[in-house]
Amino acid sequence: MTGPADPRPLLELADGLLRRAEPATAGLWPRASALLALQALEAGVARLWQRHALDFHGCSMRTQLICLRSYLEDAPLAARASHTWSALSRACHHHAYELAPTSTELEDWFAVVGELVRKVEPA
Amino acid sequence: MDPGIRSLVESRLEADDSANHAWSGLVLAALGGREVLEAELSGGSAAPRAVAARTAPVLVGAFLKDVLVEGFRGIGPQQTLSLRPGPGLTLVVGRNGSGKSSFAEGLEVLLTGDSLRWKERAAVWREGWRNLHHPAASLGATFLVEGARGPCVVSRRWDEGAEFETAAATAALDGAPASDLGALGWTAALRTHRPFLSYNELGSLLDEGPSKLYDALSSILGLEDLVEALAALQEARRTREKALKEATDAREGLVARLREVDDERARRVVAAASGKEWDLDAVEAALGGFAGTAGGPAEGDVLRGIASLEPPDAARVGEAAAEMRAAAAAVESARATSAARSRDAAALVESALEYHAAHGDSDCPVCGRKGALDAAWSKKQREAVAKLRAAAQEADAVHQRADAARHAWESLVPLKPEALTRAAEVGLDLGPLVGALATWVEAGGIADLGALADHLERASAPLRDAIEKLRDTARAELGRREDAWRPLAVEVAAWLKAARDAVRGAAELKHLKSAESWFKKAAAGIRDDRFAPIAEKAAAIWERLRQQSHVELGRIQLTGEGTRRRVSLDVTVDGVEGAALGVMSQGELHSLALSLFVPRATLAESPFRFIVIDDPVQSMDPSRVEGLARVLEGASADRQVVVFTHDDRLPEAVRRLDIAAEIVEVTRRDASVVELRRALDPVGRYLEDALAVAGTADLPSSAAARVVPGLCRLGLEATCMEVVRRRRLGRGEPYAEVERTLGEASGLLPLAALALFDDAARTREVLPRVEREAGAPLAQALKQCEEATPEVKPAAALELVRQSSKLAAWLRGLA
Repeated sequence: MTGPADPRPLLELADGLLRRAEPATAGLWPRASALLALQALEAGVARLWQRHALDFHGCSMRTQLICLRSYLEDAPLAARASHTWSALSRACHHHAYELAPTSTELEDWFAVVGELVRKVEPA
Repeated sequence: MDPGIRSLVESRLEADDSANHAWSGLVLAALGGREVLEAELSGGSAAPRAVAARTAPVLVGAFLKDVLVEGFRGIGPQQTLSLRPGPGLTLVVGRNGSGKSSFAEGLEVLLTGDSLRWKERAAVWREGWRNLHHPAASLGATFLVEGARGPCVVSRRWDEGAEFETAAATAALDGAPASDLGALGWTAALRTHRPFLSYNELGSLLDEGPSKLYDALSSILGLEDLVEALAALQEARRTREKALKEATDAREGLVARLREVDDERARRVVAAASGKEWDLDAVEAALGGFAGTAGGPAEGDVLRGIASLEPPDAARVGEAAAEMRAAAAAVESARATSAARSRDAAALVESALEYHAAHGDSDCPVCGRKGALDAAWSKKQREAVAKLRAAAQEADAVHQRADAARHAWESLVPLKPEALTRAAEVGLDLGPLVGALATWVEAGGIADLGALADHLERASAPLRDAIEKLRDTARAELGRREDAWRPLAVEVAAWLKAARDAVRGAAELKHLKSAESWFKKAAAGIRDDRFAPIAEKAAAIWERLRQQSHVELGRIQLTGEGTRRRVSLDVTVDGVEGAALGVMSQGELHSLALSLFVPRATLAESPFRFIVIDDPVQSMDPSRVEGLARVLEGASADRQVVVFTHDDRLPEAVRRLDIAAEIVEVTRRDASVVELRRALDPVGRYLEDALAVAGTADLPSSAAARVVPGLCRLGLEATCMEVVRRRRLGRGEPYAEVERTLGEASGLLPLAALALFDDAARTREVLPRVEREAGAPLAQALKQCEEATPEVKPAAALELVRQSSKLAAWLRGLA
């Protein structure tokens, strides 16, 4: 079994999309960067399970996020990660009439993902 | 008078080293009100102002147990919104038009008799208060209050067709007969610590202008006494300034009129009132006609003196002349009588006796007879003199009469030299009088009485004419002057009184101004001190709500007073200071209003332990919803926070952020039938999560063992807390004590002991009682949850969640 992806490059990519305006990504970047950040978050959680030698393969993200509270040793961060995950996944799926997230919202969410990643794998 | 305010002012006076200033007494007197201040200024003392009856809330620490609404707005048949009394967050969620806001509005109308959201709207808005589908209308709410043994029920009902304003609210405490709502003493607090906030209000809080916002915030500070004291000082100052200005203005016209009058008093008043410093004593002296200045009698006195001169009376002059003539005749006739001779002889013998007494016995110096003067002679002659004197008396009387008659002329014309010498000053011609007088006084040089009598009779007529003429001239002049003076004198007298007050006031003005300027600073300082914790809280809330907003909120201050009072918000946008509120988005403005409102509504002084917020999420950016959820969570730590929202982002955030909250869903069928459903509460929340984990097929076994019992324990602990809160608050225990008791009972067993026995120490009896009353499987579940490192297999985890849910239901049944 291959290990979970490294969350850091994913988050950096997301951050890059947010910061640099490029004609190719015009209009697409909010959802694209949200998708990358969501993957980074899930990768970070997977890294945590790997560290604890736990196999959550096939478990729903909701279950994983509930368990995160017990394993992360930082309940507020776990709760914020949970909230961010739902916000990001909502932004990634197309909801009719729902507008794309703003850059400030995305910045907020990325900050939480970054915090989680650093907590799971201190550099 | 709030004694706290007085001591604050006193300590500030001392800190400023101002306690010894002459005006510090004024500051303290002003705290007692206008009368006390005026009394202090006039050096007396007045009874301190009667303490304004501050209606302290009778009932404090109120939590909401339920809200009943029937036939009101969107709700038809009666519906009850049950709430968990005690601190905590409740979200009432429903689509727009589901009737959820009718609960919030209903509660506000129930307590205040009105709704702020209607105030600015057209009448048609207000008229729509009744539900069209249900004729009967009533509102009700049950509160649990500290110190009350039972619930407090407030209700308001309308008969069919009754007007909105007609329904009076009643309150019944502890099952006692209902009384007026005012008996709860909540009227003032409903305004100052207003526990309701709606979407409309959030918008208008900042729209209504800085002074309205100032009022809304300053009313919670309890500084009305300072405002009143400052007003007293200002009024005292203004009264005096006005008096001084009026006296100064009145002086102008008065002096101009006085100048037109040829009157010495007028001139003196003008002189006294012209300088920078008015000599009011001199004015008063001039008014009274007293000689108040150096330079002799006043002109008025001179004129009055001359006007009262008496001319020689013709009859008296005649009498005097006749007497002179009679006396002269008597002297003449007495000259030839023995009496005259006896008088002369007696004088001669007396001279001889004196000679003998001086020189001793001797010959007679007159006839030369030897040894004529001796003791025997002396003795004999003394007797002779006594006889001669008696005989001479008659002649003496005649001579005395003549003497008296001679001097009688002197008293015939009583002159007033002090007035006459200054007659020229008042414009009188003394010439004729002087001439007549010169003739008249020639009388002094006339020896013969008969000639004197003739002279007097001749000279008296011109003198009389001269005096009469002078006197009449003086009288006329006096009359003329009085006619001109009298109306002015009245004016001067009136002005004098005003001027005295004004001058006295002007002396006080200096102190009053010092007192006022000190007091302004002190009041602002006290206000800032009191507002600081609220501002801090507001800033902290804003910090949470703003998330990545570019708008930074610095200091929030109440500044200015009177019409210039305002809330100054130190807003910085992208580092640029002094930005106006105009740059903020609607959502940001709402967040700001909420930041200011929440600290105000949750102050310790408020009798309400609940706040009701209607639709705070509207127009809020999604990222701010998380902040809002955190703010609400923070407020719900010691307050019952009830939030109505149509937006599912807030419940979503609350769920995701693991915030303990109860979520009630409101749905509305046709004909305004509103239904409530408890969607989630903290207990269900934990157990739902536990179920989700336990039900995951491929869950790692160690994760199940670690996560599931923990979640079940949290669920059961939340259940115990809920049971304990409802019971204890229900019997009137202060919530702070309840929370302390709960905080001290750390761990599931102590909490369960509290729930079961109302005593955290009886932990040993918990399991036996659960086993006895609820069954062994439930006791087993409790035991598993309570153990620090339980061994739970994934299969058993599901069972543990099921039993825990049953146990939670059983515990809830105990309350």
